[in-house]
Amino acid sequence: MNVLIIEDEKALAHELEIFLTNYNYICEVCYDGASASEKIAVNLYDFILIDLGLPDYDGLDLLKEVKKLGLDAACIILTARTEINDRIKGLDLGADDYLPKPFSLLELQSRMQAIIRRKFGVKNNIIDLDGFLIDLTNRTISYGTSMVNTITKKEFDLIAYLILHKNRTLTRMQLSEHIWGSVVNNDYDSNYIDAHIKNIRKKLNAFASPDWLETVRGLGYKVKINA
Amino acid sequence: MKLRTKLTLFNAISKLVIVILFVLLVPVLIKNISSSYVDSKLIKQKNKLLQIVKSQGIETYIVNGEGYGSYLPLKDEYISLDEVDPKYYLDTIQRGKRLFSEGDTLEYRILSHTFKVKNKNYLLEIGKSVDTLDETSVPLQNLAFQVLLGMILLTVLADQFYSNYVLKPLRIIIKTKLVGQKFPNFQSYRKVRTTTSDFEHLDLSIHKMIETIADKFHREREFISNASHELMTPISILQSKIENMFEEEDINDELKVRLLEMQKILNRLKSITKTLLLISQIENEQFLKEDKVSVAELLQDVYDEISIRLQDKNISYEISVADNWYMVNINKFLLFNLFFNLINNAIKYNREGGSIRIAAVAVHDKFLISITDTGIGIDDDAIPLIFNRFKKFRQSLQQDSFGLGLPIVKSIAGFHDIEIDVVSEKNVGSTFKLIFPATLIIVS
Repeated sequence: MNVLIIEDEKALAHELEIFLTNYNYICEVCYDGASASEKIAVNLYDFILIDLGLPDYDGLDLLKEVKKLGLDAACIILTARTEINDRIKGLDLGADDYLPKPFSLLELQSRMQAIIRRKFGVKNNIIDLDGFLIDLTNRTISYGTSMVNTITKKEFDLIAYLILHKNRTLTRMQLSEHIWGSVVNNDYDSNYIDAHIKNIRKKLNAFASPDWLETVRGLGYKVKINA
Repeated sequence: MKLRTKLTLFNAISKLVIVILFVLLVPVLIKNISSSYVDSKLIKQKNKLLQIVKSQGIETYIVNGEGYGSYLPLKDEYISLDEVDPKYYLDTIQRGKRLFSEGDTLEYRILSHTFKVKNKNYLLEIGKSVDTLDETSVPLQNLAFQVLLGMILLTVLADQFYSNYVLKPLRIIIKTKLVGQKFPNFQSYRKVRTTTSDFEHLDLSIHKMIETIADKFHREREFISNASHELMTPISILQSKIENMFEEEDINDELKVRLLEMQKILNRLKSITKTLLLISQIENEQFLKEDKVSVAELLQDVYDEISIRLQDKNISYEISVADNWYMVNINKFLLFNLFFNLINNAIKYNREGGSIRIAAVAVHDKFLISITDTGIGIDDDAIPLIFNRFKKFRQSLQQDSFGLGLPIVKSIAGFHDIEIDVVSEKNVGSTFKLIFPATLIIVS
């Protein structure tokens, strides 16, 4: 998939490029609105990541250009501006998502995956983990013929996030940012992730031992899927 | 008591005291005036009589040594002339009683004067009844009292009217500049019209002070908003760098642990910045208050987020909220955060195996939602300070926090005109009461 990164902070643009390239996206980077505008007009992209605060351009104008050209690209707004109006305006102008800075790269990848699922209508999105069938679209887990319906919404979110970033160790911080990101929290205590994982293991253990859900000592958790 | 009332009251009372004093003095005054008037009349009569005696001789009055006496018909005046012992001397005017043959005793003002004619000593007495004078003083007193009372009423009314007029600017200043001002949303300055220079000065001074406060306040807000915004991009860069570094192949586990520590610290910085930004956004009224949400549902949402923490500490959780209570004209995101932070605190400062109770009741036209925990409680003298930013009072606990939970709660509550009341007993627990105005809750 082709991604255009429009971000005037070179250091951030660079990290985005490294990260997305790791996930097999093909990236191009622009540091200003003018060159971005040119690229949009010439090339075809699947994703366009737009920073609103460009030195020469209002990011929202770029979004308008994309829509005017009738491009199919999914647009994600990345911004340090937090005015609610910007968010509403951005989504009104046809942005597919809106990520306020500072965001986790994992979160960006998760949003991009969600857009892919939505846009391309991925129906068969079932992962088989040692007999556990995890349906990411319908958000269900089953083992053999029986459904695992004791899993809560939060627990499923955790499993899905780990699966999305499979074979990668996710720290407690990254996990709690994903499942409690909307809460403006007073404390940065992420030990509750352990409690969640403990619960998940207990519930799955009733069927089979979920060995694919690994604890990485001192760091966090990961889901191992052998490709 | 209001200044105007005090002034009017003082005026009325002081005037009344003076009038009462005057009315009480009336009899004495009348007596003095009338007796000096009577005395001068008596002296005139005496002089006239002496004149007659001088020109026409004593025989006009006294024949054959017999005394002379003359009374007016009602006996309110009399004259008597008698021969007395040559050595007898008298020249006075004084009060005295005279007994009449009919048994009447009348009181007179009596002029006594001795004089000599042809080696004979005579005593002249001229008397004027004073009973009539005494009688007039009572009605006079009454009259004076009534007239003066009327005058007082008139002046009090005039005072009232005038002080009302002259103090009007002060009243306007108090009403619009002091009572009417809602911190921190000051209204724009409107000069109060007055001809009293003191009020002009007061008005201007208050205005200047408010302007200074408002200016400082806006600067602080602007600073927090700008600072937290500006911090977002560098934090974002750092976060991305750390996340990417985790995936570098040549990074060993020891380095990874250190990266994790960096991530933790960065997370802390991020939380603080995000929280400050949220508070500044609330204070700058950048949120809409248009949501309607069921109280029970919102509390359920909070419970879903927080149940793992309750479970972790084995805390029992009880909600008694009617299903038909709805919050209206609120911002759902903010109210969620308000309850989340309060309940999170109730968990954080609770003991292992404690309990949390959430109850909602209607009191008069207000609605009260209270969150009661069985935690460590708050010292009485710390209660007023717990909503201050970066103040941590219950630090003995191991959990990390940076003292912005309750400031968020306070900002959100203030934004919605929700009052917060805190009751706490050390080592027993705390209750946070949220008092919702009638405009925010509907029961359907």
